Amino acid sequence: MPGPSRNHLIIGLGALAFAILMLLVWIPLDTDTGLIEKVRRQVTIGDAAAPSLAALFLLAGGALLVTVELRAPHQMRIRRGTVIAAGALFAAAVIGLLLMRYSGPAAVWLTNTITGGGLDYRLLRDTAPWKYTGFLLGGTAMVGAMIMVMERRVSLRALAVALLAVLAMIAIYDLPFDDLLLPPNGDV
Amino acid sequence: MKRMIKTGLAALGVAAMATGAWAQDWTPPGPIKLLIGFRAGGGADTQARLIAEALEQKNGWKFIPEQVTGKGGLNLAAALKDAPNDGTVIGLAVTETFGYNMAASRAGMTPEDYTGLSTTAGFQMGIVTRNETGWTSFDDMIAAARGGQDIRFGVMSPKLADLAYLLGKAQGVAFNIVSVKGGKAVMDGVNAGDLDVGFMAGIQAKGVAAGDLVNLASALSQPLVQTPEAPTMADLGVDFSADGYFVFVGPAGMPDAARDALAKAIAGVVSDESSKAGGLIVKAFGGAAVITGDDLTALMAKDYAEAADLLKAASE
Amino acid sequence: MGTLDYIWLGILAVFQGPELFTLFGLPVPVTLVMILGGFLTGIAVGATPGLAGPIAMAIALPILISVFGYTPDALLPVMGFLIGIMKGATIGGAVPAILFNTPGTPDAFMTTLDGHPMARRGQAGKALRVAHFSSAAGDTFSDIVLILCAPFLAILVERYLDLPEKTALLILSLSFIAAVIGASPGKGLISMGLGLLAVYVGSGEDFYPRLSLGTSTLSQGFPIATSVLGVLIIGAVFHELAGLWPVAPHRSGATGRDSGDQRLHAADIRRLLPYISRSAVIGTVIGALPGVGSTLAATLGYTVGKARHARRGSSDGLKFGEGVPEGIAATEAANSSVSGANLIPVLSLGIPGNAAAVFLILAADSIGGFNPGPSVFRFTADVVNPELVVAFGLFTAMMIANALNWTIGGLFMRAMGIMTRIPKHMLLPIVLLLTLTAIYVQEADMAMIWFALGFGVLGFGMRLVGMSPLPFVIAFILGDKLENSARQAFAATGGDPWFLFTHPIAALFMAGAAGILIFTAVRRKPAA
Repeated sequence: MPGPSRNHLIIGLGALAFAILMLLVWIPLDTDTGLIEKVRRQVTIGDAAAPSLAALFLLAGGALLVTVELRAPHQMRIRRGTVIAAGALFAAAVIGLLLMRYSGPAAVWLTNTITGGGLDYRLLRDTAPWKYTGFLLGGTAMVGAMIMVMERRVSLRALAVALLAVLAMIAIYDLPFDDLLLPPNGDV
Repeated sequence: MKRMIKTGLAALGVAAMATGAWAQDWTPPGPIKLLIGFRAGGGADTQARLIAEALEQKNGWKFIPEQVTGKGGLNLAAALKDAPNDGTVIGLAVTETFGYNMAASRAGMTPEDYTGLSTTAGFQMGIVTRNETGWTSFDDMIAAARGGQDIRFGVMSPKLADLAYLLGKAQGVAFNIVSVKGGKAVMDGVNAGDLDVGFMAGIQAKGVAAGDLVNLASALSQPLVQTPEAPTMADLGVDFSADGYFVFVGPAGMPDAARDALAKAIAGVVSDESSKAGGLIVKAFGGAAVITGDDLTALMAKDYAEAADLLKAASE
Repeated sequence: MGTLDYIWLGILAVFQGPELFTLFGLPVPVTLVMILGGFLTGIAVGATPGLAGPIAMAIALPILISVFGYTPDALLPVMGFLIGIMKGATIGGAVPAILFNTPGTPDAFMTTLDGHPMARRGQAGKALRVAHFSSAAGDTFSDIVLILCAPFLAILVERYLDLPEKTALLILSLSFIAAVIGASPGKGLISMGLGLLAVYVGSGEDFYPRLSLGTSTLSQGFPIATSVLGVLIIGAVFHELAGLWPVAPHRSGATGRDSGDQRLHAADIRRLLPYISRSAVIGTVIGALPGVGSTLAATLGYTVGKARHARRGSSDGLKFGEGVPEGIAATEAANSSVSGANLIPVLSLGIPGNAAAVFLILAADSIGGFNPGPSVFRFTADVVNPELVVAFGLFTAMMIANALNWTIGGLFMRAMGIMTRIPKHMLLPIVLLLTLTAIYVQEADMAMIWFALGFGVLGFGMRLVGMSPLPFVIAFILGDKLENSARQAFAATGGDPWFLFTHPIAALFMAGAAGILIFTAVRRKPAA
């Protein structure tokens, strides 16, 4: 890319814009009290004050970036490859999490359709093996997919490593403890 | 300490009960989610978990505790409101949540959206100062205030702030009301000198016994057990009080069998001083205070109605 | 209860805790075992490139809390483990730096400059011993300074600072951290502003949870574990992996067989001591300032040592950068002495200055019963102050960890060369899943996992554009404290809106805050 990086300019302007949006739109609409309130004949700081301070930090930072630091040396350049790789890794993580959340209830639904039973995942969430379904499938998928992205090839070894790691995690987090819940059993 | 052994006994227990003499008694259709409206590790949280543990051992039920804190218990109330009401979701909060906090917030929740199960213990809420201020009675403090001294009054909830305001108004003085997070913060502030006086819901017991802290007044409708001669709110000209209890609730519309079974179980555990939960309650609160059934429903409704009056009085 | 009584109580608290088991009839207190375990874990983690102390602390914390519970009894074992990790990681980082020219932790980078050439010359054993000795010396020195200074500072603060001054001090600390972390104070401020914004969602005095967009998921705000682990660890994992991609199949930096005398003699130590002592002081001073990290300390220590070495010459005619033991000593002593001093602002003021301190605060926060800050060092005469006992227990734990360091540290460290064989691209995805699971185990809500992932993306983005995530994390931790302090100061002074400026000390702090920001911004301006 020819010319100096415009990293500071872009970030600075972005921060300024967001800060102004916060101060003028978000904070006034989403807080119950203002900056200073009078309650019980006493003046107190309202709920909007602290977020406004946060916005001020953003404002100050953005201002510094577009004025004093505009032409600072060593501004980071962003490599396209890095962003694409990160995107692929993120997608792998998302897929893993979705599997984690829904494969348990899906398995129950499948069993019900096959056997005609009336099982409810919510009531089964503390019984093995149902409670491990989500974590096992989702976790293995997540780690395995990420390794495969990194190695740029589909490999059984990646899945094996992932499976081993997930089993170890189940052993550490679930087996010894009674009260801990593996995903997604806390919130169904 | 946490049990480290996987308890399959719960399943066995339920099976045994189903075939045993208790076949007519209510059993939960699944694990019971216990919402706890207090910070993990604190006294209230420990109380909830000990009660759950005792019930797991006694009745074979299974509890899954979950922290839902914030907004004076209203976050818990919101989570509980639309939960299934077959007895598989209950919560522990304080009566203030269903009284003042619901009345003051505009979230549209009222005590009628909930089923009261049982209270466990009440608070010995006092108005406390430290020894070094030299005040030995409430009147001493008022005299200082009238003499021009700025009094910093520590409170830990909006209801208490209103009460402090009315207290000052009734004596013709204006306190500097400082809101802090939690009773311990009030005590720390009073000890450090950042606050001159504050509400404390029982943690002042050791300090008062040692002579470092002084109960200037009782914030309840009754005198304090530790300092019976201290005046009550009514004595000081305020028609409201800081009476409150820990309370277990469920969503509205719980079937009577579920409600009664849960209430009986909880009441049984907390009243039993030999159990861990009961012992904790004796140590921290001097004993259990159990209110269940219709009495509890009436208490919560009364609290809610009075809160509206308190809000009005404090806004004048 | 005098000072000595409290110190003794603290020591007892460590040794008289619940026993884990008995060895030859002597009960072994669980805290000791925890410190040892943490220490060994820390060395192993530090020696693994791609992992750092804070990552191990993050993953271990929920397991520790589940084992020990939330009672105040749990504080010393859990924090003992974390302190062990902290100290182990500082010496572990040197291992791959010396053996494979890859720093195990970022602050070990300077160790590669002299450590690896020594290894290539067949003197790896000696290099490791030098690194260990310097590290242990620096660490012990700064711990002693910590134990002497922290209570003193805390008492000063309590005595002379009232609520407005405490608020102003927080603002000064935040500004200082924003200014000195990373190359750009502007970016530091933005990072900090985002952190403050994140912590203020869902909190506040009113019954309506602010900034929650009316949703119930946001009504409780973001739990500290979600945002801190998300930005700090998940963000780092994504950034590290994305930077590594695509994975190179081969490994670099082989070393020759060790030859000759690998032991450290008294003469060697005498030559190293001037460098170690200078670097230890540099590291301690830098460590006491929140936000300024161990990497800077290592660099400064190296530079100072280099200048001294060039002035005095050396017997073997080698210079810094060519495999000189003094080079290793200079940087390792500096970066290790940061860890003890880093806890000075934490324990005396409650202000975390680096990632490890963040996790100690996280642990104290989760367990409860210990609030790092001036209130801890209240030497009450009649009633025992339990927080003060815990504080002295922590000091004892640190000294025990130091003792472990001096005795078995070197041995274990030298055995850790094998850790570099673990492929980073496989390890880091596992770390990601571990972190998400650790968060879930504490919060039991899938929404929190999604938020953590989101914070991870934010952390990645920040690192991508050269913004340090540490101001974000520190602001997140201090945000509530700042708001509460300001609210209370405002109420206590009777509603004076200029309370930060009408009190002289507070006004001084505010001026300092503005000053440091302007100073660092202007100083970075290149000669146009």
